[in-house]
Amino acid sequence: MIALDVAGLRGGYGRTEVLHGVDLRVPAGKAVALLGSNGAGKTTLLRTIAGLNPARAGTIKLGGTNIEHRPAHARSRAGLCLIPEGRGIFRRLTVRENLAMHGGKKDIDQVIDRAASLFPVLKDRLGQTAGTMSGGQQQMLALARALVKDPSVVLADELSVGLAPVVVDEILEAVAVLRAEGKSLLIVEQYVERAVAMADYVYILNKGTVAFVGEPGQCASGAVFERYLGAA
Amino acid sequence: MSEYLPFLVIGLATGSVYAIAAMGLTVTYTTSGVFNFAHGAVGMIATFVFYSLRVDVGLPTWLAMAIAVLGVGPAIGIVIDRVLLRRLDGATAATYVVVSLGLLVALQGLAIWIYGPATRSLDPILPHSTFRLPGVNVGWDQVILVGIAAAAGLGLALFFRYSRLGIQTRAVVDDPGLTELEGLDSGLITTFSWMLGCSFAALAGVLLAPLLGVDAVLLTLLAIQVFGAAVIGRLTSLPLTYFGAMLIGLGQALATKLVTGHQSLNGLPSSLPFIILFAALVLSPKGFFQEVVRTRAAAVRTGRRAVGRTFPWPLLVTLVAVAGLLPTRLNGARLLTASSTLGFVLVFASLSLLVGLSRQVSLCHAVFVVFGATTLSHLRNAGVPFVPALLLAGLAMVPVGALVAIPAIRLSGLFLALATFGFGILAQNLLFLTKFAFGAASVVRIPRPEVFGISLASDTAFYYFVLITVVLGVVAVEAVRVTRLGRVLRALADSPTATESLGINPTAARVIVFCVGAFLAAIAGGLLGTLTQVVNTSTFDFFQSLVWVTVLVTTGAATLGGSVLAALLLVAAPTVFTSATFVKLQPVFFGVAAMLLAQAPNGVVGLFRRPDFAALGDRSAWRAGSRRLAERSLAETAVPSMGVTA
Repeated sequence: MIALDVAGLRGGYGRTEVLHGVDLRVPAGKAVALLGSNGAGKTTLLRTIAGLNPARAGTIKLGGTNIEHRPAHARSRAGLCLIPEGRGIFRRLTVRENLAMHGGKKDIDQVIDRAASLFPVLKDRLGQTAGTMSGGQQQMLALARALVKDPSVVLADELSVGLAPVVVDEILEAVAVLRAEGKSLLIVEQYVERAVAMADYVYILNKGTVAFVGEPGQCASGAVFERYLGAA
Repeated sequence: MSEYLPFLVIGLATGSVYAIAAMGLTVTYTTSGVFNFAHGAVGMIATFVFYSLRVDVGLPTWLAMAIAVLGVGPAIGIVIDRVLLRRLDGATAATYVVVSLGLLVALQGLAIWIYGPATRSLDPILPHSTFRLPGVNVGWDQVILVGIAAAAGLGLALFFRYSRLGIQTRAVVDDPGLTELEGLDSGLITTFSWMLGCSFAALAGVLLAPLLGVDAVLLTLLAIQVFGAAVIGRLTSLPLTYFGAMLIGLGQALATKLVTGHQSLNGLPSSLPFIILFAALVLSPKGFFQEVVRTRAAAVRTGRRAVGRTFPWPLLVTLVAVAGLLPTRLNGARLLTASSTLGFVLVFASLSLLVGLSRQVSLCHAVFVVFGATTLSHLRNAGVPFVPALLLAGLAMVPVGALVAIPAIRLSGLFLALATFGFGILAQNLLFLTKFAFGAASVVRIPRPEVFGISLASDTAFYYFVLITVVLGVVAVEAVRVTRLGRVLRALADSPTATESLGINPTAARVIVFCVGAFLAAIAGGLLGTLTQVVNTSTFDFFQSLVWVTVLVTTGAATLGGSVLAALLLVAAPTVFTSATFVKLQPVFFGVAAMLLAQAPNGVVGLFRRPDFAALGDRSAWRAGSRRLAERSLAETAVPSMGVTA
């Protein structure tokens, strides 16, 4: 069972094509680490899958249904959840309002409890303007969307950027919880070893095409990393 | 003190209506990032529909009002958002300014075409009985106006704070892309905010109509007065906008009281909103006004086709040859039209330096033209010979151009457009009737001169004088385009930060281009004034500045060809197509065309491609061309068969 099936995906910005036909599969309930050097197209790939960037060609199937012609909000409703690069929060809204946005029509108290079950700190800060929280708390609020919305596939773009190591642990633990709940994950992560450690499959993107697909064991030697990422 | 109380009451009532309009403007601006210059025109159209339903159809007042405010206003909002703006995603601020100006010009032209220019009076909607407070009689209608505005303000505040849709709207303001990721259609929410904002415009128009009369120009202008209020709210804060509107209403009413008996200050009350607008923009600290930018990542602008980077010798020589022969074919009124068209080529060429070359939308160009004409008249009356007087009239406008350039140094895009807009109206309201311009007679005469012993009294002789002057002016404009100044301005338009990082001082270039533009516009004004020999206050009013920008953007603001076409369409076309419908619909046509072509690289002129004859003769170019074609078709067929590349 394939949760997310991307085939021949082309996309980019304006006249510049960044993705030159990407094929990628995330099996249901599995975690896929997406690696690649700067400018390889990782963020563009995630944004194109989520519908924030237009796809020029190719197909995107979510649970067997083609979604490439749907707008971003429809893909979100279909069960796709992108936690974007940077801080995926509404900075000028309060924490409670952010959670209300996550929850949609769900009862706000249940939404708050669900978010607080993983990130208790959020419950103490409901009235605070989200943009004034620390980077780690902001990232927790962003990640809370993947908990609250209960999507089938979560795309996580560089969750750990700019965070203190101890906060990174907390964030990545939350990702482990998502996985334990059976969600399918596609993770872009700067800490390569940690991403590989929690992944079932590894994709390496190079210059807009998939350069390597394998299981974590296959790239343990470091030769693969040396070739595409420039370091072991 | 008690004599001020009635004015205080009036001020609160008008301030309330301003507040309704201003809050609507702010709602649409913050959610969409598009400042709607046509906000007043939207209210005006809704008010005309209200008038027709109430007076012509005979519907009950409440029903007509409900249809206008809850039906027509929101419907126009949907059209603006879905039809006009949606396809412009990622355009520059200047593009949006031009689109909403086009809408303003088109809607006003449409209303005048349908209903005619006469003001229609309207029976009061609200009860006009009064009650007595200590020291002052208060009308119930005034109380109701204040109440409606307060309720609207409070309602909006509660809506944005507590309702689901209100929070979603604020989420779109914060980050439209992220709102999409939350599973919400940010486009739908933006459309809703346009419906809300336009419905506020409609409400303000309907409430004002009984006080002002139903008049296409007056009602459009009235919402323009609230631009000052919106700027006090930095175009983003609803409470501050409400406060600003009240301030303007009260200020206007008290100013009316204060200037009673001072003839020379008559223009002050009506100018107050624009004084506030201009002062707030000019005196604000740098960076105080931040534009709301709504650029989707996908809509990265790709390179504009290079135009106007070489001196247009072929076009210029052709034009001079054709123009030189015209007097042999034309006479009488036609020849006057030809001279006027030439004069306008210079008007548009000078405007194109700002709008086209440096992408600074200046909405006060008519000021330079008017003062060029009046200054020339004053100098001639003082006995200065014509050619020096014409040059001096141009030079006199250089400091004015520098004055307008002050906001241009610190403000960009929308806020520069607003500042120049305010300046244009201020100059008209406060200076036109002074001795610097028309004087109390509101008209100046400029007799045809004698130059170097040759009398220019005949239309043919003056035509040639205009031709020579305009050619010199146009050569100056084109020289600016192809020299370093032009390159610096283009670079500044593209990226001010990158340009400054090269060690280039942006201030000098921006001031110089405004000075050159003002100088040439004043010269053109002098020519046009001398052509008609009489200029009055309504010859070039502030509205002309808006029309000129829409026309120039339509035809192409970056090239000489665009300026020539603009002059032909604006001046010559109505004399060729003389049907009344054409003349009346001309502004509508320009408005619509500006909306359609605002994002075209170079207007109508840009749609024509000059054939590249040199490449045609080059056989290797043919081969390269066919090779590229083959590669492309290969790439297209290759897409479906892409296999797993791992």
